[in-house]
Amino acid sequence: MVTLTYYPGCSLKTSSKFYETSIREVFSFYGIDIKELDDWSCCGASVAHTVDETLAHVLAARNIAIAEADGNHVFVPCSACYSKSKITNDKIIKDKGLRDKVNEYIYPLRCLGTTEIKNIIEIFSEHVGIEKIAKGLSFDLSSIKVVPYYGCMLTRIPKTDVFDDCEDPLGMDTLLWAAGTEVLWWPFKIECCGASETITNKNVTSSLSGKIMDMACAVGADAIITTCPLCQMNLDLLPHLGRKTDNIPVLFLTEVFELAIKGKLIGTGSHIIPVDRVIKKPIRRLKTQTQY
Amino acid sequence: MINPKEASKYMDNLEFLHEIENASDENISSCYQCYKCSIGCPVAAEMDVLPHRIIRHIINGNQEKVLGSKSIWMCLQCKACSVRCPNDIDIAHVIDTLRKISVKLNMYAEKDIRLFDNLFLESIKARGRLYELEVLMKYKIAKKDILSDTKMGIDMIFKGRMGILPHNIKDRKTLKTIFKKIEDDRTNE
Repeated sequence: MVTLTYYPGCSLKTSSKFYETSIREVFSFYGIDIKELDDWSCCGASVAHTVDETLAHVLAARNIAIAEADGNHVFVPCSACYSKSKITNDKIIKDKGLRDKVNEYIYPLRCLGTTEIKNIIEIFSEHVGIEKIAKGLSFDLSSIKVVPYYGCMLTRIPKTDVFDDCEDPLGMDTLLWAAGTEVLWWPFKIECCGASETITNKNVTSSLSGKIMDMACAVGADAIITTCPLCQMNLDLLPHLGRKTDNIPVLFLTEVFELAIKGKLIGTGSHIIPVDRVIKKPIRRLKTQTQY
Repeated sequence: MINPKEASKYMDNLEFLHEIENASDENISSCYQCYKCSIGCPVAAEMDVLPHRIIRHIINGNQEKVLGSKSIWMCLQCKACSVRCPNDIDIAHVIDTLRKISVKLNMYAEKDIRLFDNLFLESIKARGRLYELEVLMKYKIAKKDILSDTKMGIDMIFKGRMGILPHNIKDRKTLKTIFKKIEDDRTNE
């Protein structure tokens, strides 16, 4: 049993609440205990750094400082929160000037960079592993063709050691393969979905996310799989952004595990693009299964 | 062939380059115009000055061309350019730095994005966490465009994808003090 400090971020408490539910469901099956960070605040997201860099570091450091007291690794499922927390954590370790400055602002809290920031792919790879995933399957998902979609924030952190390749990441591919789905190769793994332009310039998001959806349909996928709440939201909102052509459902990585373990999805009602075509696929129950 | 007179004109005007290099801590002068940043940019079609040209304009000291450009506001900070730059220039970070300076000098061409950014931070300052509905409504009121996207909004609320109530943190007082202190230090800079 491993215990992680869990930093949900704003999205997992509002627009992607069902992602949190799904994470809790799947983690409890694999024996990963998550403890929500006490009184966490927003990481500053894509906004704070563009207004004031010190503010961005201070916002991220406040949460890291609270987490350091627990001594566990910090699990950050949202890609933007992960990227921002990782950047600050790295800078706190390397840059003494910034460390002192930030700590002055957040006093009496102290951020020293003693913890590690982990995303959901890292957690599955390090604490569950493909062998345990493959052995724990209850349902056969080989009829479901998926394309893994990583987005920008997860792998593109300049001047930082990143867990996966920034041009052709494979971490999620491996996990999806272990979960029994048919993983398709496609060229849009790391394209940009349009980020927060959905609010300020809708056409940009609808065009960028639209291209991603077109490519996923063109390679014959049944679902796009992502780990980022903003990517999921932008792609899922495509029918509302003026897209007329066919859409395929956009699932979170943990939802695929839900299907593999329980054969059903808890968050069905939260998806804007209906997930019927995925859950109605012939999902056969496997005879043998290992319970953890 | 470079006209020597032309070249010396650029050499005399290095202050802007140094200003941006210092502010961003990026080695901008190492750019050799390979275009890789512009080729991979997802919003290149929306830009008036392409990323590689932005870098060149900084080196040449063409302050107004970059600070007044629409491009620096179109950037999505997806960092494709930054991880691909053969000279290790974090171009997205340079653009981010230009945004701050263009707002400071009141030269910014695109006001909507900064309006949204400010409303977002206002929400964090007051509550500690983002209250999406409030920020969206404030943005729409400021833009005098309340009725667009109603269908999308209703669908999102109906599907539980938009929080109706805010979720504030407990220690709001301390966070507000931190915000104020940073804002004061910024204005005194």
